[in-house]
Parts: sequence; structure tokens; C-alpha cells
Amino acid sequence: MCEKPGSARALRTVVLLAVASFLLALSLTSAARAAGNDPTLLVPGTLIWGGDQEGGGPYVYPADDDPRKVVGFEVELADHLARRLGLRAQFFQGQWDRMLDLLRARKCDIVLNGYEWMPSRLETLDATIPYYVYELQLLARDRGDIGSWGDLEGPAREPRRRVGVLAGSAAENYLRSRPNLPIEITSYEGSTDAMREVETGKLDATLQDTPAATFYRSRFPGLRAVGAPVGHGYYVIYAHKGEKELVRRLNEGLLAMIDSGEIEKLYRAYGIWNDAQRELAQIARSSAFFGYAAAGSPRDASASERHVEVTARKHGLEVVRAYGGILLQSAGLTLVLSCLSFPLAVLAGLLIAVGRLYGPAWLRPPLTAYVEFLRGTPVMLQLYFIFFFLPEVGVNVPAFWTAILGLAINYSAYESEIYRAGLTAVPKGQMEAALALGMSRPLALRRIIVPQAVRIVVPPVVNDFIALFKDTSVCSVVTLVELTKRFSVLSQSTQATTELMAMTALLYLVMSYPLSLVSKRLELGLGRATP
Amino acid sequence: MIEVMDLCKSFGATSVLSELTLSFEKGKVAAIIGPSGGGKSTFLRCINGLESFDRGQVRVGGDVLLWNGDARERGERLRAIRRKVGFVFQQFNLFPHLDAIGNIVEAPLRVLGQERAEAETEAVRLLERVGLAEKRHAWPHELSGGQQQRVAIARALAMRPEVLLLDEPTSALDPVTATEVMSVISELASAGQTMIVVTHQLGLVRAIADTVHVFAGGRRVESGPTATVFDHPTHEKTRAFLHKLQAW
Repeated sequence: MCEKPGSARALRTVVLLAVASFLLALSLTSAARAAGNDPTLLVPGTLIWGGDQEGGGPYVYPADDDPRKVVGFEVELADHLARRLGLRAQFFQGQWDRMLDLLRARKCDIVLNGYEWMPSRLETLDATIPYYVYELQLLARDRGDIGSWGDLEGPAREPRRRVGVLAGSAAENYLRSRPNLPIEITSYEGSTDAMREVETGKLDATLQDTPAATFYRSRFPGLRAVGAPVGHGYYVIYAHKGEKELVRRLNEGLLAMIDSGEIEKLYRAYGIWNDAQRELAQIARSSAFFGYAAAGSPRDASASERHVEVTARKHGLEVVRAYGGILLQSAGLTLVLSCLSFPLAVLAGLLIAVGRLYGPAWLRPPLTAYVEFLRGTPVMLQLYFIFFFLPEVGVNVPAFWTAILGLAINYSAYESEIYRAGLTAVPKGQMEAALALGMSRPLALRRIIVPQAVRIVVPPVVNDFIALFKDTSVCSVVTLVELTKRFSVLSQSTQATTELMAMTALLYLVMSYPLSLVSKRLELGLGRATP
Repeated sequence: MIEVMDLCKSFGATSVLSELTLSFEKGKVAAIIGPSGGGKSTFLRCINGLESFDRGQVRVGGDVLLWNGDARERGERLRAIRRKVGFVFQQFNLFPHLDAIGNIVEAPLRVLGQERAEAETEAVRLLERVGLAEKRHAWPHELSGGQQQRVAIARALAMRPEVLLLDEPTSALDPVTATEVMSVISELASAGQTMIVVTHQLGLVRAIADTVHVFAGGRRVESGPTATVFDHPTHEKTRAFLHKLQAW
């Protein structure tokens, strides 16, 4: 309003330039898209495909000899398809039940991870033809009292029979859509969790996609397949809506692999080839799958046998040797996340508390709202907001910084409450003495009040730091594999849960106990200077 | 030096200070005495703006503090006045996270922008003056009440105030340590430091004060040279108050 005319003009010029260059960039990208001979990829030359290694074998799981690498039939499939497209395949780790959100937020180019074909998903995503025809296999204890589906359906009894499924899977949908079954359904994060629970007797049965049921048969000798497979569905590759060119090329690749018998070879290697897969050939022959049509390609018959073995379960020190390194690495990430986010949280918390207690009146309601909102909503949701929602309005924060920012913002609310208590606990006479010496309020706060409040709040703040250490585990929703997620992944694929649990717990303890000691020292040291 | 005109303050319906008009001269020591709840401390705190007031004005040197002044202007005036006016609290209010010398140099360093060496030399000199040179690195909680109050006086003097306000400086002390503090205050008085003291120590008042003001019920009931007020009080409230104290 009372700006100098010169600076107003300069400002207007800058704004106009920014808008113009933005429009130019926009028209260029849309022009490139319209030309459309090459699929739009996040990183040129690279096909970034999403999956969750916690889902386990035979899809995507950590390699036995090097847990930093992923293997599985989907890894090989992705490599194969990428090669055909003249691209390099790159795996992108995400949480399985969030995979499609990650795709929509453009964190990867495609999702290839046992995701079934569902018409409802085609509203927001595009899909390829199937690469696997799955069925659902009921597994129960060998020599248990469930010998057929009839035993599950049988007369209702109390307590109900308990059946475990992978959360969000087709098996879960299958059972939940049959409310007449007198059973209790329990959802698990990983597919082998449920298998182990059946073996130990906590569950009566589990319903699994055929690949997992077949692949892990040797790991769970106490289980047997009950009855014929039920259900029937297709695993497809999902891509961004409108990426017709990418989908077309992927389809070509799949058709070629089906026609040439390469896909059969691959599935036989993992022991997951079965009669149901003949439908893939039918789809290829008729070149039709729900509206998709294409020409076939010549058959390559040079098939040689290969077999991917499920290695025996490791025990004791073997587990420590094999996975200690990678757990330690993930612990490093946990440490980095905590040590970067907490100082930010403390600083923000302090400023918020000072603002609420000593700031101008107009500043207090928004700060109070900030604290109440962040304390009242789960940190997981806040991370989700930053990672999945902000890209929709054009703000793309990388996973690592999302985690740092999310944790810092969330904890700043708690720290500000601690500091508020600490500041209030400093006697009123301290401020009066500082003012009487001619200090301004900001100076008095900085030199006299805050230093005393900091000493008062050392124990609760360190306590929160230790809590934050363990809260970093929520960062797996934004695709970071920190210690807890690494534990889940390894435990799903190796079943060496006891050893891994002990190692994980030990690592957390080794990181957080020194903090308690530091806190104790600080309390003693600062106690000296407190009345 | 200090002129207070028509000062009024009330908490809700209760009047704490009513229509106080007083002036204090440079180089003199004034004492304010009177029964508890008479408004003595509140009056003192109004002079350096630790308390707001509802009417009237306070003038310190060339700076005038109005009851209804603009907030920002009031903030600047307050800081200007507080640099000229030192304050000693009943409860000492030393900064517990700083040692004795740290308490003294804090304001000279941060407010006056003195060099650390200069400020510390001055602080040591002040600690010698209040008899605590050997306690320069002691933490407040390691000092007795009397020692804390003497450090607090040194802290106020480090700002070289034109006037020193003392708000019941010995009330929180036992009789022995109170004498230590009183002898420091007497020494300041004989060195010509302008002071306004609120106290119940009539002995101290008789020893150092040039003028005595008697407050009761938020009003000044009597003023005069110390000997006159003590030996020939004219107001009945003064007589009652002095009688009550001397009865002990």
C-alpha cells in the first residue's frame, strides 16, 4: 500500500516472468507428452517398478546370500520386460498396502507386485494383460482336524475357527465376501506370518495366493494344502493413467514371453507353474484381455530347466552372520532420522512455546491450533499427507526429507508443551529482575528465562528423544526401510523371527541407552546450578 | 530527579494507590515506611514500570512515563528509565544459572555493550565493595541469603544507576545477615548514592534516610525530615505505626 512505486514495478515484473516461464515449461511438457513415442518415465532410461519385499517369496524378497539385493520371480520378470523395452529395471521399496498410492503420487513408474486385476482400479490407473493367474489355496495343519473346505463351512462351533490372511489381499476379500462362513478372520502384514501361526496352532488355517502357498511349502513342513484351489484372478502390472505407450510396450513384452515359453520357464524355476497358467496362453493366442488386442510374436522353444530353491531356515549365529550387517545398516538410518529430526523438533517446540507465552496476542491462537492439531492426529497420517497429498498440489518432498520433516513437525508439538511447562516453572521474579536491569523482553527470554527452562526440561525432552527413536518405524509408510521395517522384511522371508527380534531389540537398546546416561549426566551437571 | 504526579492504581474496586504526588532529590536517601498493604512496594514498582498504573505520571530525569502511553513508546521509555533506576528485590532474584560474577556482568555486557574484561574488572570491584570478592565464582544456591542480597545489590550497581530502589531488602533475612546487608546500604548512602528504600527496619531508616514518607491505605499520610517524623509525628496513623513497632 505504502510501497515505493519502483519496488512494486520490480515485483510485478518478477511475478510476470515467473508465470510466463511456468506456462512455457507446462506447454513444453505437454507437447513432449503429445508427441508420445516414448513412454514418460521418472528417470529416463530406467523403469522404476514398485513392490514390497516384506511380502516375501516368491514375489520379491531379500536374497539369501546378500540381503541388500532383492530376488524373486517378479524381479526377474521386471528385468526381462525392462530389457525388452531397452530400459534398466530399478526396484522401488514401498509398503504393500500403499503401493498404488505411491504409484499415483508418481514415486515409481509401475507396480509389479502380486496386485490383482480389479475393474475399480482402472478408473485411476492403467493395467497390462495378466502375467500370472493366481488361485487361493487353503492351508491347514498336517493331521489337523481340517481336511476340506467342508470342515470350515461345517456346523458353527465356539470358539470359531480362526483363519489368517494377508491384509488387503484377494484371500482376505474372498473370505470377507462370504459372511456365512462361521470363522474368525485375522489379517497379517506378511503372508508367512499366517503360515507360521497355523503351524504353531494359533490359527486353524490360512488362505494364501498359490505362489506363496507353493513356494513356502518346504519351509512349513507341518502344513498341507486342503482341497482344490478356490477363487481365480489375475496379477497385472499397473501404470499411471494415460501411459498408453508404456502399457502397450509392456503388453508386447508379456505376450512375447508367454508365446516363447520364457514365462513358463521362469515360473517353473520358482515352482509356481500350474494348470491355471494355461489361460495366459489363451489370452496370448486370442490376443484379447478385457478389450486389449495385439498381434502375437514368434515362439521361442529353447527352454532349459532351472529351479530356484527355497533355502533351509537359518538358525542362531548363522542368522547373526547373515543379517547382522544389513540390520546394522538400517539401524544407521533410524539413527540418522532421529538425530536430524529431533533437534528441529526441539527448536521449533521452543519457539512455539515462547510464542504462546510471550508472543503478541494474535500469534497465540494459531500456535495453539498448531499444537492441538498435531498432537491430536497420528504421525503416520501426517507423513502420509506430506508424501502423498503434497505432490498433488505440486510440492514433491523426497521420502527421506518427508520423514525428517514429518517427525520434526509432529514432535515439535510435544516439545512445545514441555517447554511451555518449563518456561512457566521459571519464577516470575526472574523476568522482573532481567527487565529491571534494562533488558528487553526478547533479550531477557534468550539470556535468562530460556536457559533456565532448558535445564528444567532436560529429563522429559531426553525421554521424548528415546520415544522418537522408536517412532521412526512409522517411516516405512513413506518407503524408508529403517530398522523395524528391515526386521519385518527379513522375518517374512527367513522365518528366523526369534533371532532377528533379539538383534533388533538389542540394536534399539544400544542406541537409546546411552541417551539415558547422557540425560542423567546432564541432570546432575545442571542440578548444580539450580536453587 | 524523580517526580511522581497524581499516581493512582486499583485492582478492580480496591484502590491500591491513590493520588500520590512525591518528588525525590538527587544525592538524597528517602525511606518509605508504613503498615503492610499500604502500597509501599507497589509504588516502588510503578517507578521502574514493573507495575502499570491507572492514572498520573512518573518522571525520571527527562523521561516521562504516562499511564496511557502508546505501547511501543512506553516500551522505549521503560528501558530508558530502567537504565537509570536500579532495583533490589526482597527475594534477591539472582539468576540461578549464572555464578556471582556472571550475574553482575550480564546486563553490562548485553545491555550496555561493555567489553567482558571491563565488565569483570568492575564486577570484582563491586564484589569487594559488598565484601564478597572471594565469592566471585560461587553459584547463587551456595550463598547465604545475606550474601545473595549483597550480590544482587552489586548487580544493580553495575549498571551505574542514578537512583537505587530497594524493596524491603532485608525482610527475607535473619537478623544477623540482615545487618550485613544494612551496613552495605549505609556505606552506599554515605558515598552519596541516591536511594529510595521501602523497609520496616526503623534503625536503618534513622541511620541513612534524609526524608521519610509514611504510606497507609494507599495514601501518603505524612512526609518530612527523618528526625521530625520519628520524634514528632503529626498524623495519627504514623503515631500508631511507630508505636506498634517500638512496642516490640
